Amino acid sequence: MTVNYSDDELMAILLSREVRDGEVSACGALSHIPAAALLLAQATHAPNAQLIILDSIFYPFRTSKQFHFLAQRGELGLFFVSGVQIDRHGNYNLHQLGADHDHPKMRFPGGYGGGMIYYGAQRTVVFRTEHTKRTFVDKVDYISAAASTPPDVLRRGSPSKIISTKASFRFDKGDGLLHLDAIHPGYSFDDIRDSTGFDIGTATPAATPAPTEQELHTLRHAVRTKMIDTGTYAAWASRALAAHVAAVT
Amino acid sequence: MGVPYVPVVGLIGTDLLTRRDDMVVAVDPFDGKTKSVVAKAMTPDIAVFHAVAADRHGNVSCGYDSEAVILAEASGHVVVTAERIVDHIGEKDAQGTFIPGIHVDSVVHAPFGAHPGGCTGFYGQDKIHMRDYVITSKDDESFAEYIRAHVFEVQNHADYIERFVPLDWRQPARAAGA
Repeated sequence: MTVNYSDDELMAILLSREVRDGEVSACGALSHIPAAALLLAQATHAPNAQLIILDSIFYPFRTSKQFHFLAQRGELGLFFVSGVQIDRHGNYNLHQLGADHDHPKMRFPGGYGGGMIYYGAQRTVVFRTEHTKRTFVDKVDYISAAASTPPDVLRRGSPSKIISTKASFRFDKGDGLLHLDAIHPGYSFDDIRDSTGFDIGTATPAATPAPTEQELHTLRHAVRTKMIDTGTYAAWASRALAAHVAAVT
Repeated sequence: MGVPYVPVVGLIGTDLLTRRDDMVVAVDPFDGKTKSVVAKAMTPDIAVFHAVAADRHGNVSCGYDSEAVILAEASGHVVVTAERIVDHIGEKDAQGTFIPGIHVDSVVHAPFGAHPGGCTGFYGQDKIHMRDYVITSKDDESFAEYIRAHVFEVQNHADYIERFVPLDWRQPARAAGA
């Protein structure tokens, strides 16, 4: 049978699978999908995951200094971040569009924090809800965070995966490049090649396991309720994680 | 902290480093080879921030958890505006972050001093004002107009409240945080 789900639900489920039990996992500001993913992981396969969701009750610190040094020490197991552009080297851009840095076409909030955590967290998963040639590019206009550093640079961790609505890429520390890792249900190799701005090779990878009924059910009920009850992106959860919404998306 | 710089794990290889002269790559002085970034200390001449309460000795109850204590420690002259001035605030009385008076040079009684931002327990963000602020900040001309109307043409704090703080916010019940 076919299970219907929205892009947001798919992303939340795929991100949740990256969370490991017992680890500290976190997301930053304006992160409704990762927030749902963290709570879903805790409700399913990672009951002992320690969650940090900025600007919510799932934030154990009084000041951002405490979070900063948690990441600096390498005690953050997993961090979720998004970028406007992501390139084949695993670098992401959260600052501006346009290669002329003095006269950008558009400027974004940027982010010292993400640029620091990319090196401090053991693993970072970069997510992007738009998979097109303008978001998956050969070279980002501005490097907000670099995936690779020379061996003499102090670094605790690296990006592990890049996950979009169509596919996921694995970051290889050896060659410093992204490799197509899995294609989500409903998309073909040609779809990914045609919507990616860099060479994805020729090998067709495995198919992403589709969201299970249990994952969707937990997301739409236990997680949605928890987000609404705790005021964690409540308006989004109420709207986007309702079962009837997916059917019309 | 008073130290000249602080090491940071990360940022190497970013364009942030190419755009900032207060962060540079440095070699670990102990092992002589490992590289990390060092960020230059910021030492503001003056810091101004808003709190829920202060006493005349400069002890401050921020009302929220904040990094303001770092700001107060780092800055030369510290001015705190507060919703209320009270007889005495000790560390145990403070809500949120407590800042000892030793770091504070001036306190100013300024009800609605956070407007159009919010102040915990007193009032929330003025969303209509904020929306207008975002619209006017889209180009230099309209932003200059905003500054003219809200800063340069305002005679004093009472005048600002009269002109820009919503009338129903100024009722006693609301002002007390009810």
